[in-house]
This record gives sequence, structure tokens and C-alpha cells, in this order.
Amino acid sequence: MTPLKNTFLLIFLFQFLLSCEPDDICLSSIEDTPRLILGFYDINTGEIKEINNLKIQGLSNEEIYVYQTLDSIGIPLKNSENLTVYTLTKDFNENTPSSGNEDKIYFNYNYNWNYISRACGFITTYDIQDIIIENDSENWILNTEIIDTNIIDEKNIHVKIFH
Amino acid sequence: MKKIYMLKYFISFLALTFCLSNFSQEKTKDSLYKSTYGLKLGIDLSKQIRMLTEPDYNGLVLIGDYRFSEKIYIAFEIGSEKKLVENEILNFNTKGSFFKTGINYNIFKNIQDLENEIYVGLRFGSSQFDHQINSFTIYNTDQYWSQNNIENPISHNNLSANWLEFVVGFNAQIVKNLYMGLNLKVNRLLSQDKPDNFNNLYIPGFNKVLENNNVGVGFSYIIQYQIPFFRKNTN
Repeated sequence: MTPLKNTFLLIFLFQFLLSCEPDDICLSSIEDTPRLILGFYDINTGEIKEINNLKIQGLSNEEIYVYQTLDSIGIPLKNSENLTVYTLTKDFNENTPSSGNEDKIYFNYNYNWNYISRACGFITTYDIQDIIIENDSENWILNTEIIDTNIIDEKNIHVKIFH
Repeated sequence: MKKIYMLKYFISFLALTFCLSNFSQEKTKDSLYKSTYGLKLGIDLSKQIRMLTEPDYNGLVLIGDYRFSEKIYIAFEIGSEKKLVENEILNFNTKGSFFKTGINYNIFKNIQDLENEIYVGLRFGSSQFDHQINSFTIYNTDQYWSQNNIENPISHNNLSANWLEFVVGFNAQIVKNLYMGLNLKVNRLLSQDKPDNFNNLYIPGFNKVLENNNVGVGFSYIIQYQIPFFRKNTN
């Protein structure tokens, strides 16, 4: 029966057309989970001022996040905990592990998981509650200022660190 | 990208209608004969086939039609589906039930004593469903804390959606009163309750939902038994 044969052919054609789905690709133009952007400023002049050989490492993380001279940096916060702790070490020398001045900094925040799409899943956004510098005998971080409590993108500096 | 997609649908539809118009021209001599009017009831076997090939799918769909006039059939469908969608980004369950109702218009001219149909049809579909998110991945290119997979069950219940379906298919009488058929559907969402902070990625009865347009597709493989009511003269 020819109509039957033709219809089967059409079904195969139809199935073939169904097989490609652009919905399944997460485009790189879509912004991922934002990092917390820190900017380093001079306590006296209020001008942005870079830090020599800064080492940033998460507490209880084996890996050094960054080690370089810089004046601003984005650091990742944890996705499902309200606290992320980093050590910021100024004038670090990679050959002597205990070198430099180490300050410990606590970021307290609320987090939300926001749905993006089938292909990208969710991203986390944060709402900074407060920032605490652990006191030691010689803190190099003298003050902090939260510029933007809502961490929803990486366009601007969220937190100013004065030294 | 969207345009190319729509174009593909149009092309396949043009191809379909072209073939169908060919069928309808296979006319033989017009003669008076009797054809059966009745109620067809059956099952959409494509769901059972899908259950064999997709272990995370469960579905049962009952389907039927009532011959209203020489060419017009009133069609209906009820069913329920359960589906686990699992990939590296999302893991969620959708379950729910649906009904569809509408008409089929038979464009096939039967030669004497044969009672086959080639039809085009329109349906209104409506579905009630729940999603349960089991786990998901946080999209984060920075892997420093490597805790991007979140296992946190979230429920989105009592959602609903309505849509229209354009159907093309055939029913062939294999033995007396027993029909086998296939149809293809293109669905268009009319309205949906979107869950907060998630999306309807799968709707029972509608099938997979694309996020960048509201068109979906499906097909059915139907076995039906006809309860004959009466026979009537047909041209």
C-alpha cells in the first residue's frame, strides 16, 4: 500500500529533523556565577594602590588561588555555605613558605541559586552580610568597605580593601 | 537560528501536505456504498515502546474517536506520563496527566468497502503536572572550591499548561473493526504556569519544551478497536 509506505518515509524524515536541538548548548556569552571583586586602596589618599606579591589562598584549600602583584581581583565564594575564608599574604616569596604578612579575612553572606536555562543550569548570587579581618599583631589590611552587597555580576568592585 | 528551525517545520509540513494531496487524488469511480459509523477506542503504543527504550520514562495514553459525519471525527485522548530527565546539568522528575480533544478531518477517498483514513486534525491539549528537582549543577567556570554539584530537592507542584496540536496521520483497518494508525503532531503552547526559579522543560502530553520557542513535536502509534453503531450510505 503506497500511502502507508509514504507515511513511514515521512515519519523517518520527521524524526531526523527532531534530532538537532540548539537548546542543549550553554553559550559562553551567558554569565556564570559571579566572583567577589576586591579592590585595593591606599588608606590615606583613597586612591587605588597595588599590592606587591600578593598571595590569595582559601582556608583549608591546598591550592593557591593567585600569586601576583595586583590592585583588584575576583575571588570565588562557596556555593552552599554562608562563610568563605581567605588568607591574603602581602610580600610573599614563594621560596620561603612563611614569608610575608598574612591576614585572614572572613566573608559572611547569604546565597541564592538562580535558574538560568536547561543547558547552563543554575548560578549562585550572593548578598554580603559582613566582612571580618582576624586581629593579629601586625594587620596590613587596615579597613574594608562594602560598596555593593549584591554580588550578581562582575562589572564593578564589590569590596574596597584599605592598606 | 530560530528562523531556520521554523523553516524546517514549514518544509516538512509542505512535504506532508504535498504527499497527502497526492493520495486524495487517487480517486476511483464514484459509487454508492455503505460505511461504518462508530466509536474507536484504543491505546497509543508509542508510549509502551518508549518505556522499553527509555528506562526513566513511564506513560499510558488512551485514545479514541467518534465518527460525527462522513469526513469529521471527534477525537479525544487522556493519559499520564512520568519522566526522569538526567544529564550533567540537571536531574529532575516530571509527572502529570493530560487530556486532548479536537477533530480529525478525513481527506482519504476510500474505494468501495475499504474504511481507511488519512486525516488532518486539530487538538486542544491541557496538562497538570509536578516537577521535582533532585540535583543540579552550578554554572561556574571558576572551579577553585569545586563544589558545583548541588543535591538539594526542590518541588514545584500543581503546574499546568495548555496548547494546540496540529495532527497529520492515518488509520488503516487491518481486520474488521481493528485499526492501526500513526500520526505526527506539531504543538504550540498557548499558556503555562512557569515555576519560580525553574522552567517547564518537559510537559506530560506535550513532550519536551524548548526554551527559545514554544513549539514542540510528537508522534503516536495507535491501535484501536471500533465499536460499530450503524452503517450509512457514502459517496
